[in-house]
Amino acid sequence: MKRVPDIAGVLLLAFFAAFPLVYTGANYDYVMHVLITAFFYAILASSWSMLAGYAGQFSFGHMAFMGIGAYATALFCHYFYITGEPTGTCTEFGFFGNWFVIVNPIGVTSTTLTQDCLRQAMAGWGDSVSVTPMPVLLGIVLGTIAGGLAGLLVGLLVLRLRAAYLALFTLGFSEIVKATISAEIDITRGQAGLELPALFENGVTVLGQTYDKTDKIPPYYAMLLLLVTCLAILAWLARSRFGLFVRALREDPDAAAALGVNTTRYKVYVFTITTAMAAAAGAVQAHYVQIITPNMLFLLQMSLVVAMAVIGGIENFVAAALGAIFLQIMLEVLRTSFTIGGVEIDMTTWRLVFFGILLMVVLRFFRNGLIAPVIARFRRAGMAEETVAKRRAGEARP
Amino acid sequence: METPAIFWGVILWMVAWGVLGSILLRRRYFARDLDTTNANFVGAMAGAALGPVALGALWAKTPELTGRIIVAFALLAVVLIAGAFAFADPQNNCVANGSFVASQITNGLIIGIIYGFMALGLTLIFSILGVVSFAHGEFYMIGGMLVYYITAVWLPGINPLLAVLGACAIAFMIGALFERLMLTPMYTGKIDRPVEYGILATFGLAFTLQYFVQAIHGASPVKAERFIDFPRLRWPEGADPLWIKSSRGNLTLFETISISNPRFVAAVTCILVLLALLYLLHRTWTGKALRAVSQDRDAAAIAGIDPHRMNMLAFALGGMIAALAGALLVQAFSWLPQVGAIPAMRSFVIVVLGGLGSLPGAFVGGILVGLVEAAGTGCIPDAQKAASYIPAYGMIVLTLTLLLRPTGLFGRRFASGAHGQ
Repeated sequence: MKRVPDIAGVLLLAFFAAFPLVYTGANYDYVMHVLITAFFYAILASSWSMLAGYAGQFSFGHMAFMGIGAYATALFCHYFYITGEPTGTCTEFGFFGNWFVIVNPIGVTSTTLTQDCLRQAMAGWGDSVSVTPMPVLLGIVLGTIAGGLAGLLVGLLVLRLRAAYLALFTLGFSEIVKATISAEIDITRGQAGLELPALFENGVTVLGQTYDKTDKIPPYYAMLLLLVTCLAILAWLARSRFGLFVRALREDPDAAAALGVNTTRYKVYVFTITTAMAAAAGAVQAHYVQIITPNMLFLLQMSLVVAMAVIGGIENFVAAALGAIFLQIMLEVLRTSFTIGGVEIDMTTWRLVFFGILLMVVLRFFRNGLIAPVIARFRRAGMAEETVAKRRAGEARP
Repeated sequence: METPAIFWGVILWMVAWGVLGSILLRRRYFARDLDTTNANFVGAMAGAALGPVALGALWAKTPELTGRIIVAFALLAVVLIAGAFAFADPQNNCVANGSFVASQITNGLIIGIIYGFMALGLTLIFSILGVVSFAHGEFYMIGGMLVYYITAVWLPGINPLLAVLGACAIAFMIGALFERLMLTPMYTGKIDRPVEYGILATFGLAFTLQYFVQAIHGASPVKAERFIDFPRLRWPEGADPLWIKSSRGNLTLFETISISNPRFVAAVTCILVLLALLYLLHRTWTGKALRAVSQDRDAAAIAGIDPHRMNMLAFALGGMIAALAGALLVQAFSWLPQVGAIPAMRSFVIVVLGGLGSLPGAFVGGILVGLVEAAGTGCIPDAQKAASYIPAYGMIVLTLTLLLRPTGLFGRRFASGAHGQ
């Protein structure tokens, strides 16, 4: 019985790994998209549950760090290029025989009238000069680092204070990130959004099968891989001394400090790691959807992550991830309307109310969420018999 | 801005000395084994205001610090920034145009009073329950929406005062109901970490309320009509300029400062309700009981006060205050289900600035934040950007407060918690 959660986990993973190859519905792309988004939310919810459930630090700025990751890679891919020839108009410098070009920000303009300096140069060159965009992977790595750095700074500022301050500050921080991105239209293009290259711009060939950039299978596996990697890192952290310290400072910061845990430092560590995960998820998702706008930072998204983690089980990041996948699928399934007694109820608007009420009910009556207790139940199965057997053995010996 | 180098140079100079001052003075306090709560703030302000001179003086005479010196340094720092700005950008509207400055300050004060009033509800909840209510913005939104629905949809032609009262009553009931249903397990020790539970529970309430209103109402903005018209007034007769001139929707002081009717009505109502609230808190048994619970729960319980009922009362009252602020402002701004986010943010900034749990702090903080926002929107050269950065001004205040004096202006001992380290 104890092995049931492990076996179920492996089976679930195998299911998700095989699903895109087996499934052949007419709505294939749509289902894939829903699952990729579900994995994206799963990363956010599980890293948030590490932060909130394990370490007891309630941050409402997780989406802001996700947005920082996404915008970092977007700006990186949007403004930096490597060309074979100097453009003459851009800011540029030599780079191993080529030219590293920083495109000038032109904001939101009609593309036919005003072009940035690189596009003007390219119009003059024709096809004779090679223009290489930055590698997407490097952008994602940079986005992750940027998110982690932002998390480090915010963590250093507020984590020495009490829980309420972190929640207050991060909520404001996400508002400020959104405001900055919306206001700096010259650079971020504001509500018009930044376009990004696809995750695999030139397509990929795996095992003789070629997928072009609009195919859903490569991003699906990329996101699944990121999710599994994040879960593995979180599991490793939770089982190490680090996890022990972090749980100790959640239960009683003063006692943990008295026993020699540098509480502020460990809080900052866990905050940085989880924000970097959020940023990585944001960067990959941004390359997958290929356009980002400040709207992805709306508080709704954060509320969804919180609801997902709480409904799954806030103190178990696997449960939080499962809760996120489940909830995201439910959100899509509930895009219907039905009639009760002649009143038509449009679930597209009511589903969020439904989740809010579910969130409160779970919080009030199922403190460990809905999925975590199931896992815990199987884990604990046979524990009583074992204890009794041990006691018997102890009694028999003397 | 003409010569931004001057402005940014001064800012950089002040920040550098401020950082140095706060670090050095904290060390000095540690070395002398003194209470370091104020050291960061004093050091930063002294460094920012007078640079090495003040730091040297402070270093020599370390323990002799009074509140007056701190205030003087802080004011001097603000004056310095303003001076540098004026010097760097003499053509700016908020430097060259005196009447613009006057009206901007007046409007900042008026809106600050309303903010402070709203933050009062939040701080009331915190001082008694120990929970920051993340549903505060949603109560604000509900208040405005209810007034709109009562006056325009359900009972057209009703006296707006009754609508405001009705909205307050409904918000009070929502608050009381939520507290009974969701927050009661916090008090009995059933939950390991009550503060975190409170954060999540109020967050859940915010989520539910917002999307409930969105589902019922949709996403179209609404606005209530003016509650009352000003009488047409010219006073004193024949003076030039007229001291007070009013039309139905506007009030002009000295023919320069223009205050719109809805804001004026809202601010005056806020002050009246605030006075009533002060009366309630200081002169009635219930109010004294509330304050007693906020000071010492156990002692209050021994004296025969039921802390659980006070919790309910405080949460409902706090929600009602936010709803009242919303109900008064729905005639000034257009209203959406998402409208609560920014005022809620402001309230958070204000309560941290004033000191979590401090009632006078909330009010003073509100006025300060109102003034800072007025300065920000008025002085930043690019008007469009200035408007989009409105949430950011508060955040700068919040960041500075957390860095320099996490207990806030009027922080009480119990609000300081782990800061004394």
